[in-house]
Amino acid sequence: MGSVLSVSFIQELLLSTIRMATPILLVALAELYSERAGLVNIGLDGLMAIGALVGFLVGYKTMNPVLGLCAGALAGIAINMIYAYFTISMCAEQIVYGMATNILAPALASFVYRLSFSDTSTQITGVAQNAVAIPLLSKIPFFGKLFFNHSPLVYIAYILVIVTAIFFNKTKPGLNFKAVGEFPRAAETMGINVVKVKYLACVICGALAGLGGAYLTICYTNTYSEGIVAGRGFIALSAVIFGRWMSSGVMMACLLFGFCDALQIRLQLISPGTPYQLLQMIPYVCTLLALVFLGIRKSGPKSNGQPYFREER
Amino acid sequence: MKGKVKIVKVIIPVISILIAFVIGGIIIAGLGKNPFEAYAYLFSGAFGSSQKFAQTLTIACPLIFTALAAAFAYKCGVFNLGGEGQFIIGAVTSIFVCLKLGVSGAPGILVSLILGTLMGGVWGAIPGILKITRGLNEMIVSIMLNYIATLFMGYVYTNSLREGSTPQTAAIADNLQIGRISDGFRVHWGFVVAIILAVVLAYIIFNTSFGFKIRAVGMNPMAAKFNGFPVKKLILSSFVISGAVAGLGGSIELHGKQFRLMSGFGQGFGFDGVAIALIAQLNPVGAAVVAFFFAVLRKGSSTLQTGMKVPSSVVDIIQALVIIFAVGGTVLIKKPSVQKLLNRSKNDKVSGKGAEA
Repeated sequence: MGSVLSVSFIQELLLSTIRMATPILLVALAELYSERAGLVNIGLDGLMAIGALVGFLVGYKTMNPVLGLCAGALAGIAINMIYAYFTISMCAEQIVYGMATNILAPALASFVYRLSFSDTSTQITGVAQNAVAIPLLSKIPFFGKLFFNHSPLVYIAYILVIVTAIFFNKTKPGLNFKAVGEFPRAAETMGINVVKVKYLACVICGALAGLGGAYLTICYTNTYSEGIVAGRGFIALSAVIFGRWMSSGVMMACLLFGFCDALQIRLQLISPGTPYQLLQMIPYVCTLLALVFLGIRKSGPKSNGQPYFREER
Repeated sequence: MKGKVKIVKVIIPVISILIAFVIGGIIIAGLGKNPFEAYAYLFSGAFGSSQKFAQTLTIACPLIFTALAAAFAYKCGVFNLGGEGQFIIGAVTSIFVCLKLGVSGAPGILVSLILGTLMGGVWGAIPGILKITRGLNEMIVSIMLNYIATLFMGYVYTNSLREGSTPQTAAIADNLQIGRISDGFRVHWGFVVAIILAVVLAYIIFNTSFGFKIRAVGMNPMAAKFNGFPVKKLILSSFVISGAVAGLGGSIELHGKQFRLMSGFGQGFGFDGVAIALIAQLNPVGAAVVAFFFAVLRKGSSTLQTGMKVPSSVVDIIQALVIIFAVGGTVLIKKPSVQKLLNRSKNDKVSGKGAEA
């Protein structure tokens, strides 16, 4: 057990916690924007899958990780527009179209991947984004390496948490945005264009979820494989509930899930005798337990999940 | 009017399937392949001979079970995305019964199927209990349980029941396999069970007071509550039945087709089941028909891939498009403006007839 408690083990564990939490955090923020506008999007897994593939592909072809990440975000937006059109303009059920995204997007991703690389037996290595150490700060012992030596997307994700908190609580557009998720009819009366805000929410959601997917294939590993998303979209979905629709809470939830993921991998390395499947269960079991003990019944946006019939006024 | 609604209900999925096929054809044409030739491959792969047709029906069997599971839960207004996990738990239970309990013959199959069904129901009860007691989102819970079930199955076939060097369990004994309908038509009897179950569930949903209550909760839980229906109990029982149906499906798949557990068992069946249920508009008999259609696509896709080098995932894309259009279509006809249009064309016809007379 000595190896478990050593400083380097703990440092590695926390470091990979931050790395693992980032994709979940990006996607959970995506869902936060969507749900704040009253749109429950369970298609996050699908959006991540297409973001992961397109990001990987563009990164591989151009050898430019930034272009890859941007392309992943754009792909997420494009796919999420199907959900947006049917749920906002057609007032269709959100869950159903989220499911449709979860079936369509991974299928598209695997189709394009097999077309691009017909020989699927070898792992193709794409471009990777290197860590950028922040000068001076990264020199702080222990914490420097922990917080200030990551790929830029990690910093962006955590900055986004702060930006989101300020946006929703301190700015007028943010409050208007929230009003759409709470009581769209009143928002419309106040002169807010509800439909436009909802579409905007879908664009933000698609972009962040696609980015979260692209993170997996560009910053986390530099390969693509089917099933790379592994339910992270659903974990992010529970992080939003668990974080009570506040960006700081969502971040804490994501760090917890990231920690479980990191712990699981570390434990696999130090105890090869334990069946790895049992260790791999840890993040999913923790998500369940966290929901059971800390999830609360109703605290989300009031009109969450309900279609907005403009004609009904 | 009622007959008309029924016709529209059938027409929408049919049109959606056609549109999805046209888009799929465009994608195939975009690859520089002839879409008509590709679809010929697809359908010959599924219907080409009685042997191929029997294989298609065998593929449809588990899909019918997961689709029925999804449809039944959603009739009660709850989304069971955990069909895959319940399916797997049913199969895992059965493999334990077959390899560890020393059962044999028809009674052995019966015991194994019953226990598989029960455990599927137990696994399905978890999201139900958490929903009614803690108000948790049943979708997230059931998805998490899918991953846990899949990993547990992985543990079973790589550790506790592993046979030999390959990560898979031993096969069940020959006398525990479900028989086939005939030697020329090698579909196992589980398919017949699936069809009977679809009819029984349709009867329960549409012709019993229990089914009526389930539907009432699905349509408006508040109104059902005010009517004195035990809403929580109904939700829980719909989850248990849904899980049990999926569990039975997993058990039958093990006894009828796979005979052992290995990587990939049951993979994708849960989501496909949800998709099928949605396209069939939650009608159990319709679900069996759509499941057959999905099986045609699944079976044909491998022929398509080997024959034309078109990646088999093109049929997954077609499946997703069918849901998008089918559900979009049902929403569209509910819109007031479209309803008006439908009624007007009907009135025109009536007035036209009047003019002739």
